[in-house]
Amino acid sequence: MTRVVVAALVALGCAASAVHARPAHKHALAQYFGSFLPKKLNDCRTCHLPDPPGKTNEDEDKPHNSFGARLKATRIALRKMARSATIEASLEAILEEDADGDGVANRVEILTGHFPGDKGDRPTAAQIASAKTTLAEFARLKSGYPWRPFDSVQRPPAPRVQNAAWVRNPIDAFLAAEHESLGLKPRPEAAPEVLLRRVYLDLIGLPPTPDEIEAFRRDCASAKPQANGGVPDAAWQRVVDRLLNDPRHGERWGRHWMDVWRYSDWAGYGAQVRDSQPHIWRWRDWIIEALNTDKGYDRMVLEMLAGDEMAPEDPKALTGTGYLVRNWKLLSREKWLQDTVEHTAQAFLGVTLQCAKCHDHMYDPILQKDYYQFRAIFEPHNVRTDRVPGQPDIKIDGLPRVYDKDLTAKTLFFIRGDDRTPDKNQTIVPDVPDALGGRFPKVEPVTLPRPAVEPEKRDFVVRESLERSAAAVANAKSELAKWEKDGQAAKAKAAALALTAKESSHDALLKVLAAETLEDAGKINSETWKQAATAALVAQRKAAVANARYNLHVTEEKSAAQKPGTPQSKAASKALEAAKTALAKAAKDAQQPATTAYQKRSSATYPPQSTGRRLALAKWIASKDNPLTARVAVNHIWLRHFGQAIVPTVFDFGKNGRPPSHPALLDWLAAEFMNPTPPHPPLRKGGQGGVAWSMKHIHRLIVTSSAYRMASTPDAANTTLDRDNKYLWRFAPRRLEAEAVRDCIFYVAGKLDPAMGGPDIDYPLGLTAPRRSLYFRHAAEKEMEFLSIFDAASVTECYERKHSIIPQQALALVNSELTLKHARILARSIAGKTNGDATAFAKSAFQYVLSRQPTAAESAECITFLAEQTQRLREAKLPGGAGLTPDGALPAPDPALRARENLVHVLLNHHEFVTIR
Amino acid sequence: MTDSSRITPALSRRTFLADTGMGFTGLALSALLWQDGVGRAQEHTLPDGRPHFTPKAKSVIWLFMCGGVSHVESFDVKPELNRYAGRTIQDTPYRDVLRAEGRDVIAGNPVHGNRHTLMGLNTGYRRYGQSGLMVGDWWRHVGECADDIAVVRSLWTNHNDHGAQLTWHTGRHPREGAFPTIGSWINYGLGTLNQNLPQYVVLGTPTGDCCGGSWTHGAAYLGAEHAGVRLNVGAANPLPFVRPAAGLQPEEQAAELGLLGRLNRLSGIDYPDDPQLRARIRAYELAAGMQAAVPETLQLERETEATRRLYGINNGTTQNFGQLCLTARRLVERGVRFVQVFHGGGGGGAWDAHSGIRTNHGQLSAQVDLPIAGLLKDLKQRGLLDETLVVWGTEFGRTPGAQGDGRDHHPQGFCAWLAGGGIKRGVVHGATDELGFQALEPRHYITDIHATVLCQLGLDARRLEIPGRRRLDIDYGRPIREIMA
Repeated sequence: MTRVVVAALVALGCAASAVHARPAHKHALAQYFGSFLPKKLNDCRTCHLPDPPGKTNEDEDKPHNSFGARLKATRIALRKMARSATIEASLEAILEEDADGDGVANRVEILTGHFPGDKGDRPTAAQIASAKTTLAEFARLKSGYPWRPFDSVQRPPAPRVQNAAWVRNPIDAFLAAEHESLGLKPRPEAAPEVLLRRVYLDLIGLPPTPDEIEAFRRDCASAKPQANGGVPDAAWQRVVDRLLNDPRHGERWGRHWMDVWRYSDWAGYGAQVRDSQPHIWRWRDWIIEALNTDKGYDRMVLEMLAGDEMAPEDPKALTGTGYLVRNWKLLSREKWLQDTVEHTAQAFLGVTLQCAKCHDHMYDPILQKDYYQFRAIFEPHNVRTDRVPGQPDIKIDGLPRVYDKDLTAKTLFFIRGDDRTPDKNQTIVPDVPDALGGRFPKVEPVTLPRPAVEPEKRDFVVRESLERSAAAVANAKSELAKWEKDGQAAKAKAAALALTAKESSHDALLKVLAAETLEDAGKINSETWKQAATAALVAQRKAAVANARYNLHVTEEKSAAQKPGTPQSKAASKALEAAKTALAKAAKDAQQPATTAYQKRSSATYPPQSTGRRLALAKWIASKDNPLTARVAVNHIWLRHFGQAIVPTVFDFGKNGRPPSHPALLDWLAAEFMNPTPPHPPLRKGGQGGVAWSMKHIHRLIVTSSAYRMASTPDAANTTLDRDNKYLWRFAPRRLEAEAVRDCIFYVAGKLDPAMGGPDIDYPLGLTAPRRSLYFRHAAEKEMEFLSIFDAASVTECYERKHSIIPQQALALVNSELTLKHARILARSIAGKTNGDATAFAKSAFQYVLSRQPTAAESAECITFLAEQTQRLREAKLPGGAGLTPDGALPAPDPALRARENLVHVLLNHHEFVTIR
Repeated sequence: MTDSSRITPALSRRTFLADTGMGFTGLALSALLWQDGVGRAQEHTLPDGRPHFTPKAKSVIWLFMCGGVSHVESFDVKPELNRYAGRTIQDTPYRDVLRAEGRDVIAGNPVHGNRHTLMGLNTGYRRYGQSGLMVGDWWRHVGECADDIAVVRSLWTNHNDHGAQLTWHTGRHPREGAFPTIGSWINYGLGTLNQNLPQYVVLGTPTGDCCGGSWTHGAAYLGAEHAGVRLNVGAANPLPFVRPAAGLQPEEQAAELGLLGRLNRLSGIDYPDDPQLRARIRAYELAAGMQAAVPETLQLERETEATRRLYGINNGTTQNFGQLCLTARRLVERGVRFVQVFHGGGGGGAWDAHSGIRTNHGQLSAQVDLPIAGLLKDLKQRGLLDETLVVWGTEFGRTPGAQGDGRDHHPQGFCAWLAGGGIKRGVVHGATDELGFQALEPRHYITDIHATVLCQLGLDARRLEIPGRRRLDIDYGRPIREIMA
């Protein structure tokens, strides 16, 4: 409908009186009436008086006619009653009135193409009579389920349907109601092996193994048979629960949410980081773990937006803030914040807030000021990398996270969105757009605990410093013992000096820590502290002397080893002089009277408070009162199960988005997501509380529905009625995502490394390293080509994958070493079990690669091929490898085996291998 | 992507097998039988690879300059700008042009403010050829071809930012999403002229993700098999994986692909309307041919020195775009229907001269002017210009008013030109006002260019329908009869 509106405006556009119309008003009108709005009525004159002849009214507020005046009064009244005061709501309220008093209701005048505010313009009785059908159709349109994405979610009752036997859960009821009203017949249940492959690929991104297929077959045979002859529910539920609890589920769906949340490894030129941050993979692992433990979606939102404010000492919550870290940009703080605002609004709320950066939103009730208030929430935040246990160097490893750096950072309102023209008169306070509902909590500053403010004072940092220092002492001791045992006096002397140095350093560290502990306990200037601090200084001086002495000794030895007169010798004597001076200085310092001015450990210090702005935002988003959060999330989940979303514009639930195919179903799912209906046994492992916001609950509802279990085969009658399968009369087949295609190639050959998590792997290794695809570096200009060819996520934004089918994909599967090698490995393994039996080989190969048995015709094709190809290869006398390499780098020397390798290679290129049917 | 294809709903399992070249049991039939028009089942009434009426052109080379080329300094030169430079539009005799500002919904970008203080021309200009076409000096080589081209000077578009790059190709505003591009309509509407190259090829760096990205050469609901295929001219690997990994012999691979075709068709027995399976079968057939044809097509060293010089391949400035233009000619020679050549792609586009337009347009035109002229001359001398339609365009013009020392986006009026393929030679159609501000009647929305191109190829946009896909009047456009020979 939106498309029609925009184009209609473009096409229309020229009437002089329309020049100053606020497009938003006309859009609201068009939106409400849809295609029922006559062209003539999409005009300012519907609500405003015409301009006097020869003069165009330059004012924003053109005088209203009687209809416009009534509309405005209604809006004001609605607002006073704290009700939704959109133009649509007001329109609805006055449709049956007669604004211009010409005896015809506003609704009838508008639908018949007459101005409701112009007494002289009214339809004749004949016109009204002939518009009967139109009026009835419009009434039907308006009596349908209302789509009000900005109103809080109310659970609609599941409709009663005739096809009750088909209804396994309310999802089916909503779909069946549409089927019945449109005359669509749902496709029967898909064959068991098709279903099994579908749910495996969908939930874990990998196909079932032949053993798993066999186990499922047995389980189905032993379970209570289903009335429709399909897969028994009990067996199906066992598979679904097992897959939902499989850690590979988190990897599969983790990649989906990485699309929505814009995961990107760091990008830049050379070693310079320009986008995102090193070690951001920790956030990727956080996503996988959150899904596997079924962490509530509300909690995920809280941790991603405000983990540092909500749980400042919990490394897991801090890791969640990787969501924000990812937006980091070296070159532009403006773009950084812009991306943060734009994508937070789109990913969690399905709102195109970015449209309001330069002007009030053209479609949705969002003001330009709202944009900057939303931005103010993020204004103070910045990015840092904290030390992680086991690695003192944050260049090698660390935890990238956000924190509020500038607590008083001001947000400016930019006139027309231009950062060169801030409006000094506007004060911007952190807030969210009123129109989006819910209650924005009071922003309250968060006082941060010491470990968050001074991360070097965390226990593990102290412990590791002590351990390293103690280890150095132990090392020095064994060194000394060794040289003494060997009777090497000179080396023993050096080792003894080293030991003294290490011991005294260790002693100093202990004393420094003791003094610091007292300070942190607030006992600075106490007698105890004075003693401790003095002791620390004395120990530090002593350590300085010991270290200088050791250093001098080493320097002396080096100097003695040089040939006199050489440049090296000159440098050595210089170093020797410096070492002597250093020792003299240390010795002199040690003579000074002792004070409390010991040298503290170096430690970065961050603000002791956080503004609490992001926490307020996160609470507002993760609230059951928020009308959009749950709707948007379940819509994303639905999209990835069925290949088509309920609201097709998954990032835009506003008026410029496309309307939902099943608004009532979406509302029901959203309600069920937030307040699940018992009884549903919790799927969350180790989780706390109920199962509200459980993604696994929604997954299970969807994949156990009859809708999900339909065959994907076509049907001519249904196609005539609903060509695009908008009303889901069948399961729509679709191509696998890039990562799954690649993973499956390794997996069917038994070569996929099941290791989870860890640092991003260099992307050029993608064709050889057998890890799952989501663990490879994915960032601007650092993308695996193989994945890009299969429409991998754009790192800047990917709310929905594309599923293209192009010759480049064929080339990648036919010509890459990836498929060739794995075809060889799998073929040799199957050949080893089938002893030259071509029929058995073909059957097994189909099971491994396509998760099903070949039909008789397919089997015959394969057997003929094996015979002919063997013959062809034998005659061609192709140079084969000397033997079989385990990595499949070369073809088998034996023509019969090589033909089998070819067959498996063909199956890896088969349509079904890359398709969920 | 369950998008519709050419298949009618009533298509039966039997029809499918016939249509994919197998016959009901004819597993041995050659895959090539699926070629358009051959072996197609009787009840098929949608595009059958034949034009609707006698075509004037066979192929299209579609040159697109990303970022917005100044119309007033290229093919719609406005000397009045020199006269009134530094004055506001209000302050000239042409102040009336502002009265109609915004009448097409889209005015200048509100972010950028209005640019009403006029800027003089940043390049010289003169008249060329017998037609006396006035062309800015930045385009003097194309100017030499003035008597072969038809300039359309009254274009307008509906978007004032670089998303208009998408609009130029689909006719739709970017917020509306992906729609079939002109190249994909042609790919969809016409049968192929070759067996081993895509029908629709994309050269150069396309539009950035901000502004349409791959949608500018996509096919949307027509299906990805009708989308453009990018070739990397000059790269060691023009197309990833175009060469087999070590160890796979050609005859071995050929036998594999034969089996694959048969198995895929068997897999489609229960899925007679599956556009994805169809697309995949086609993709494999095409891929097999491309393995040899793509590297051969890109062997520009096979051209004579004189030809290479004509395209500026010997010169560092013109080399890159010259290679693209020469490749475009080689592609249409080999039967590619639509070659879309991007210049200055990525981000908003290189031609986006908000500042320093003199340097920006000076340098960029130096890269493309000579190669484009070379392409026109080469096509002409080979007799290919009659059957090859060349289109030069950009997403919008640039403001007559100054933005510092640059010019802003200008969707209200701008120009493009067409040559060859049955287009009149040496004509100008339409005009903007004396300042180059508003397109004057007869104005042309950009889909009029699409309609003109389709018409020259013998296609009627209105007959390229997909059941269940509503198109809008403005999508079809109107052929610009005035420039058709």
